[in-house]
Formats: sequence, structure tokens, C-alpha cells
Amino acid sequence: MLIFRYAARELLRHPARSLFAVAGVAVACAMLLDMLMLSSGLGTSFRSLLSGAGYALRVAPGGTLPFDTEATIPDAMRVRRALEADPRVAGVAPVLGGNLLEGRAAERRVFALGIDPGEQGLFRLVEGSVPAGPDELVIGQALREEGIRPGDTLWLAPGGGLGPVAGASPRPFRVAGTGTFFYASAGERSLALRIETAEALTGRTDRASLMMVRLEPGAEPTEVAPALRAAFPSLEVASVAELVDRAQRRLSYFRQLALILGTVSLVVTTLLIGTIMAVSISDRYGTIAALRAIGVSRSSILSALAVESLLLCLAAAVVGLALGLVTAGWLETILSDFPGLPAAIRFFVLEPRQLAIACAALLAAGIGSALVPAWRVTRLPIAGTLHREEP
Amino acid sequence: MTPIVAARALHREYRLQGDRIHAVRGVTLDVAPADFLAIVGPSGSGKSTLLHLLGAVDAPTSGSVRIAGSEVAGLGERERARLRLRRVGLVFQRFHLLPMLTAVENVEVPMAEARVPRRERRERAEALLERVGLGDRLRHRPGELSGGQRQRVAIARALANRPPLLLADEPTGELDRATGRAMLELFRAIREDGTALVVATHDPQLAEGAGRVVRMVDGRLET
Repeated sequence: MLIFRYAARELLRHPARSLFAVAGVAVACAMLLDMLMLSSGLGTSFRSLLSGAGYALRVAPGGTLPFDTEATIPDAMRVRRALEADPRVAGVAPVLGGNLLEGRAAERRVFALGIDPGEQGLFRLVEGSVPAGPDELVIGQALREEGIRPGDTLWLAPGGGLGPVAGASPRPFRVAGTGTFFYASAGERSLALRIETAEALTGRTDRASLMMVRLEPGAEPTEVAPALRAAFPSLEVASVAELVDRAQRRLSYFRQLALILGTVSLVVTTLLIGTIMAVSISDRYGTIAALRAIGVSRSSILSALAVESLLLCLAAAVVGLALGLVTAGWLETILSDFPGLPAAIRFFVLEPRQLAIACAALLAAGIGSALVPAWRVTRLPIAGTLHREEP
Repeated sequence: MTPIVAARALHREYRLQGDRIHAVRGVTLDVAPADFLAIVGPSGSGKSTLLHLLGAVDAPTSGSVRIAGSEVAGLGERERARLRLRRVGLVFQRFHLLPMLTAVENVEVPMAEARVPRRERRERAEALLERVGLGDRLRHRPGELSGGQRQRVAIARALANRPPLLLADEPTGELDRATGRAMLELFRAIREDGTALVVATHDPQLAEGAGRVVRMVDGRLET
């Protein structure tokens, strides 16, 4: 206890110096935490998003990932039936996606998802009901924020690429409900209607952009995916884990950036604590030599100086973690507009493991850097140091 | 009577800015229990170096020192630290107290190092400060004490682990004459309790009060 009291009071003896050290290390700690959250946040968030609705596999046109291109699966009904014939498959949700034009004058673009209302994992209904008939649809958050409510009418027309399809005039659809669309990007006007309606509007009969496959309890995606791949060699079959892996490879520069900046923050912590402790220790050469002269061991002196550094780092960690969470939230609002990514994706995800790593790395860097000047002072010759310090 | 310190043919050389300094040259000296020895001599004569050798703070270039029966030359760094902790009390001219600890906490430091239980060390520290006349300054920090009071705290700290030997390097060097006289009385009282005292000093008042005086010139003792 005396050692903690000594260390704490030594820090309080130079409040300005200690405050600057805590502030500097807190900033480094915040950056380290943010970078750790960023390094695995996308993967964690993407995995949670993909597996949230309970569909373990995705089947897409050969050579593509879901919605990467406008390619579609031909003979969609036959493929669906064949997939459903596998005893390990509990359900198949076909999806046909495409742009449509909305408004009486077909003046703005919306993204339409053709679905089977009885088997879908693209949205969670917030109010109203799923589209029961061919002239009904469910709207997403962006359209709802424009004031459209269940019971209203939306006018949709084929088109959405370079303009309306010649000769196709808008037709009315009743809004049956509103929902949260899991994969919609920020501000994207999404809506869902029955797949046969989507086929008619986009002119792509018996096609699907994607099929989401739900497995029976106990069926392993890692075993079913290769079997389906063999059965449908012209299609792309991917499990959630594989999709996450591919997404992370595409976004690997985020992880590299996180690694570099995280390392920089640790280097800053090491230099800052090392410098502060070196200055503080050099002020106390005489006192430390006197302590050793009266029989205080090197290990006790090292412990006392390490505790000083530990207290500095702990104070900085508390401030830094709070600062890190605030800055992560701020950066998240900026990055949530990242083009092409679902708005539900989070770049910064806090996990206990990351928190533990940030704290452990900070403390190790802080204490380690303090031990260098501390070790040196305990190696100085006692008598020589006292000679220099005494008049 | 077995001496508490027995130094034989001590030599200490060291290099300073390229020059070889022969600080102690062939010193042989015994200090008996309850002895009060003053080492006097001009500045640079080797008094402090000899004191450090007698207290196992420094190692001789040649010769031997036995403290309370232990041959210092055969001890490693850790054993020497333990020997100093338990057998030797040290007092410095500049006190070297820990400025952020109170008087009683400063006295507790060597006892904490010696693993004395917390309650016992607090009681002993308070008793020692009472003994050196600082019973009313237990919770004061060094910055709140006069020079004489700080030196008393340093003496109490040196006595904390009840060592048989107390070494003091210019203990009155930063004190006025009246405070120096009071310090001499304190040293006499400590000696009467059976503790041997060796004091390196320029202070004639302190030297006259000692039981034995040796003079050091150019690293050699003149008796």
C-alpha cells in the first residue's frame, strides 16, 4: 500500500506534467481503441447482418456475389424446387432486384425487391402487412421518411436505368406496410413487392438475382454449401462465413489502416510515458540512490516506478476509452454514407475482446517504456550518485 | 569485544574524467558496539567514501569490511542491500526524505521493505519520531519541516529497523549551530542505547562530542 501511496502522490506532486501525460496517452488510447474496433467491426457487423434473418447460404449467378452485377439466375423456379428437394434445406427465399421509376410522371428511381412474402429475409415488417396481392408493396425507411404510409398509393413504371422504358406507363400500387430493409444503403428508396410482379415490371420472367437458403436445424453450412455447389456448378453458392471473408478481403485496406494507426498510437504511448518517466526519474536520482543506500531493493524501486506508470496509464485508459467511444460514434456517422454498403453495417463495433486488447496493449506499452529509465536508475552506482548529489 | 565493523587495509580507487582518484588508501579501522566515532578532515580527504565502504554502500578496490560478522566482499547486490537494510542506518547531509510522504510514512519505508507488519511499523515509526522529539509532527511532510526537523526524521528512518550501526555523512552540514548541538545530544542518546555511531563531519562541535575522533588526510587515517 505504501508503494501505491508513494506513486500516486509522486504523480500529484507535478499535476501539470501528469495531466499532460494523461491527456496525451488518452488520445493515443482512444485512437488505439477506434482502430481495434475498425479492424474487426466491419466483419462482425456484416456477419451479424447476414446471419440475422436465419439464412445460412446465398445462391447467386455464377461468378458474382449477391447484387454485385445485374446478372440473374435463369430457370429460377426449377432451381428453387431443386434446392428445396435437399432434405437439409428448410426453405428458399428467391429475390429479384432491380431499379424502377416511381411517380405519376415516373420522375424518380426506386430500388425494388421481388420476394416471396411467405419466405423472405430482406426486411422486418414495422407496420401493416406483407404484399398479399400483385398490386401491393412494402416500403423501406427512406420512403417512409418522405411521409408515405400504409394505405397510400405509389405509381411504379419499368425503367430506372437511363430512363423509362418506351411505352410503359406507371401503374398504381397500394402500400401494404412499412419495414426495415436490412441491406438498404443510406437514403436508398427501397420497396418490396411480390416476385411475379417484379418479374413483370422488369421484364425478367422466371429469374432471380439471388436465392437465400435456410437450413434445417443441425445442418452445417460448411457441409451443405459444397454439396449445392456440386449440384449447381453454374451458380455461386456461398455460406455467411465465406461472404464475410470475401467482404473483408475487399475491405482489407481498412484493416491495414487500422493496424498502422493502432501501432502508431502504441508507439506514441511508449514515447510519451517513457519521456515523462525519464524526466521524472532524473529529478530523483539522489533520492533513489539514498533509498538504495538504506537498503531498499532494486525490485522495490522498479515496482514503485512501474506503479507510477501504471497509475498514469489507468487514468489515461479511463479517459481514452470514453474518448474513443465518442470519436467512434462520430466517425460512424461519417462512414455510414459509404457508397454501396448497407446502412445497417457498422464500421466500429465494440467487443469485450477489443476493450481488453486495448487496455492490455496500453498498459504493456506504458509500463514497458517506464521500466527502461527505471531499470537504468537502479543500475547507477549508489556511492557515485550520492557523491554527485551531495554538496 | 567483537567489533560491529572491522575494516582491513581498505583501498578505493575510481576514475573521474579520465583521472585515477585514490580516495581511500589502506585504512584499517574497528568500530565497537556503542562506539561514537567522528571522522574529520578536509573536503576531498575521503571521509564520505570511507563511510560508504563501512556501510556496504560501496565496494573497496581491495581490502575487506566485516559488518556484524558478515564479510561484505562475499555478498551479492541483493544480500548487500539486505545487510544495509537490517544492520546499517544511514543519514545524509541532504536528508533525502521522500517529499510526498509524511514524516511517519518516511520512517515506515525501511520497515515496509523489511516486511514489518503494517500496524507494527506504524507504532514503531511513531515511537521513533516521539524519541527524536517530533511527536507533534507525525503527519507533516518534509516540506513543512525545518532543516533540523527533517534531519531528525532522517535519523528516525535510519533507526527504523533497529540497526546496530548508524552512519551519518555531514549530518549537521545544513543545520545552524543550535540545531547542531541538539543533534549531538540526540546522537549521544542513540549511542547510550547501544547503537554504534560513525559520523563524517567538518563540525568541530560534533567531533568534540564524539567518544573517538580520527582524522583523514589524502585517503589515510591519522590517529
